Amino acid sequence: MMTSVYLDFLGNSLLWVATVSSLLSAIFSFQKQHLIARNFIFLTSSILLLASFYLVYQFLQNNFSFLYVAQNSNIFLPVYYKVSAFWGAHEGSFLLMILLLSLSMTISNYLIRNEGFIMQANVFASLICSVYLLFLTTASNPFYVLSNSPVNGADLNPLLQDPLLAIHPPLIFSGYVFYAMTFCFVISGAIGKFTKELFDTIKVWSTISWFTLSFGILLGSIWAYYELGWGGYWFWDPVENVSLMPWIAGTAFSHSLIFSRDKIMLSWMVFLAIITFLLSVFGSFIVRSGILNSVHSFAADPSRGVFLLAILALFTFASFIIYIRSSEIFRGKWPKFGSLNYLLLLNNIILMTILLVVLLGTLYPIFTEILFESKLSIGPNYFSDLITPLTVALIIVFTFEQFIRLRIKTTLLFSLIIVAICLTVYMFLEQAIFISLILVAALIAILLMRLISYLIVNNTKLRFHKLLGHFSVAILTFSILFNHNFSERIDIKISEGDSINLLDNEILFEEIEIINDSNFNGVRAKILINNDFYLHPEKRVYKVGGQITSETAVQTTLIKDYLVVLGDRFQDGSWSIGFSKKYGILLIWMSSFLLLFSILYGGIKRKL
Amino acid sequence: MMSLKIFFSLSILISCLISSEQLYENLSSNQIERLNYLSDNIRCPKCSYGNISSSNAPISKDLKNEIALLIEQGFTNEEIFQKMQDRYGSYILLNSIEDEKMPIYLIPLIALIISIFAVTTYTIKKSK
Amino acid sequence: MKKFFAFSFFGFLVAFVYFFSITLSTPRLPNVNLQDGKTIPILIESVDLDGNTINHEALANGPILLNVWASWCIACLVEHPFLTEISANKELTLIGINYKDNLENAKKYLEKNGNPYDLSIFDYQGNYALKLGVTGAPETFLIIDGKIVKHRIGEINEKIWNDEFKNFF
Repeated sequence: MMTSVYLDFLGNSLLWVATVSSLLSAIFSFQKQHLIARNFIFLTSSILLLASFYLVYQFLQNNFSFLYVAQNSNIFLPVYYKVSAFWGAHEGSFLLMILLLSLSMTISNYLIRNEGFIMQANVFASLICSVYLLFLTTASNPFYVLSNSPVNGADLNPLLQDPLLAIHPPLIFSGYVFYAMTFCFVISGAIGKFTKELFDTIKVWSTISWFTLSFGILLGSIWAYYELGWGGYWFWDPVENVSLMPWIAGTAFSHSLIFSRDKIMLSWMVFLAIITFLLSVFGSFIVRSGILNSVHSFAADPSRGVFLLAILALFTFASFIIYIRSSEIFRGKWPKFGSLNYLLLLNNIILMTILLVVLLGTLYPIFTEILFESKLSIGPNYFSDLITPLTVALIIVFTFEQFIRLRIKTTLLFSLIIVAICLTVYMFLEQAIFISLILVAALIAILLMRLISYLIVNNTKLRFHKLLGHFSVAILTFSILFNHNFSERIDIKISEGDSINLLDNEILFEEIEIINDSNFNGVRAKILINNDFYLHPEKRVYKVGGQITSETAVQTTLIKDYLVVLGDRFQDGSWSIGFSKKYGILLIWMSSFLLLFSILYGGIKRKL
Repeated sequence: MMSLKIFFSLSILISCLISSEQLYENLSSNQIERLNYLSDNIRCPKCSYGNISSSNAPISKDLKNEIALLIEQGFTNEEIFQKMQDRYGSYILLNSIEDEKMPIYLIPLIALIISIFAVTTYTIKKSK
Repeated sequence: MKKFFAFSFFGFLVAFVYFFSITLSTPRLPNVNLQDGKTIPILIESVDLDGNTINHEALANGPILLNVWASWCIACLVEHPFLTEISANKELTLIGINYKDNLENAKKYLEKNGNPYDLSIFDYQGNYALKLGVTGAPETFLIIDGKIVKHRIGEINEKIWNDEFKNFF
């Protein structure tokens, strides 16, 4: 009997009703029918919520007649991964993204009732929502049903069977969605007027989006470090770059908000908001159309690509027509030379250059491949070579930002800037890593002094969370540089009971034991390091898909991490293991969390 | 009994992947360093991304073994890169700076310099 | 001035969208070079699945279709019927490279699915395949008088045969 595929009536109808309701909310918002529009927005989000629960319910019920469930789950999967399998592949993750968008619309409509700008923002948000819903229902519907259901599903990608990675994608999507909300508010200001209330709303949303996206990216890094098994946390993989680009643009956007509050360069702020949003749309196009091939596998489908490209083109053209036709935003002033706003502008320029580096490194190979049929190889070196000096320059600029209000003689400051720039150029030419380390360390010391003096004097003009945030970025840069240049790794062959001295550490391979779990079998090694602690690297064979994965064992200490990866088994019963020492990992995580904390703290403080 | 059976099938599954009995035991620490450098800068030909030291594909392990062998036989880094390039094409070299790549180094630098220059001169003009 | 920027921006956007629409419809280049035009590396004394010695001579003369296969490889199973058809109908020698496989499993695989190969080189460690430029299984090489004229990464079928291999006969 042939298996045929058709659409589940309930799920599909829910999606269509949501699409229509979302379109209606756009129309009523446009006609300034406040109440009706709000009801339709509420209706859209509740229907989408219902549809999502319906899909999750199928996962929990092991209903493998649903194609999406059959592809991404199986009986042995623990319950929490059955829930997270909902966003484990393309269709579900898109549904989640749209759900989040409509939920954040509902929330902002609930919070802001009587402002004119909310209606304009609603028009755009509803339109974005409807366009994506149309895409979901026509080109990637998650509610396909098989006529005769398989006994068991394929598995959820084993890499995704990890608590961190279960929450990493929804966080990234939320970040994108929140930036889309921010974008809608900024556009409503560009069409109408930037009132103080609108500015406050934009600030709240930009802080939320920035925080969420940063958190998502950080979790992805932590996951990569502990799960992928070669001790890296950032690989300059094209898909990572694609998620990093909106983040960089969003960072620049958050900073540009500081000066556009005084109506300085409003056009630049609006431009950045548009760019941030478009980069996230661009990201979903380029990742899901299969143009990039990468470890982040999303099933590629050319028809999807065409649809997503059309969406991208639509949003791009629409937002730039609005941008160019808006007269309000071009009335802004220009900052004074040597002022804080001028330094912020420099900061934005450097961030944009970093963005350009990432963009070129990701797209240029595609460009040459299509146009000249030559496949260029861009390695991590390209990114680190260019971004290291740029980041150091950025730290120099924002360190000066912290001092500009103190009115130390500007001439002194600028002579220092020039010295620093010369050093940076030298560093770039000579690849002298020590110079950059020393430079960053000096800047950290300066920032730390500023932080302490702030705590003692309590200068009300300067905000504590900003100082803290910049301080943590400096530490983060320092620890990344340190990690990048001093970590070591070695592979050896070792038998049970053997001990060996590796990279000045005593290693005893005690034994191998068998492990069983509901969804995998495997072996676990017991390795004693320096007579001090045990590491338990594993090798797993997943029952359903048969994939073999290695689980890294990590011992984290303040200065360095010890990593052991279990390799292959040799014919004589010995094993290959990879042992590495990684420096500064804990410092990287801590400074990143400090940065997140200061973003959050700043946001909360502003609300109070 | 059950666990023994699992162990047996597991060891077959896992040892299927091995390719060589040697694991760079004959290399000096200097040579190991070269091996790490080379395998960090050669892309895994089977994977879509990542170098051969960070991938678990069988071909990456084979290549790493071959590189170790070539180092032992006295080939220099350049010769080994050349050998790999001859076989798989220039795409698998991760650290090469070719003329084709110059635009992506130059464009950001030029953009940076021009925009800083433009913004600064414009601000000075405006503030007068 | 503003108009100039607007127009150049729109021009840029149109070019951008146009470029990506081309990208979507263009098949991507493979990550690694194909081995077309290269001379095959010397096969140092090897054995087939039955333990008989094979010399380099076996590969050096006439048109030879060299197919990399393994019992663990699913795509190989997919292309197996097509290989059977080719070896029955065409005047060429079909030689297999049994790649990183267990001898027993490999024999079982051929017993079960039929053996289209004139002989199979038992390449347990993948050494010869590595020198040949193989990155995995399945891959297929068309060799004429010791020279690789066509290299295919991935499975072959009727369409690919007609598009890429047929014109060499």
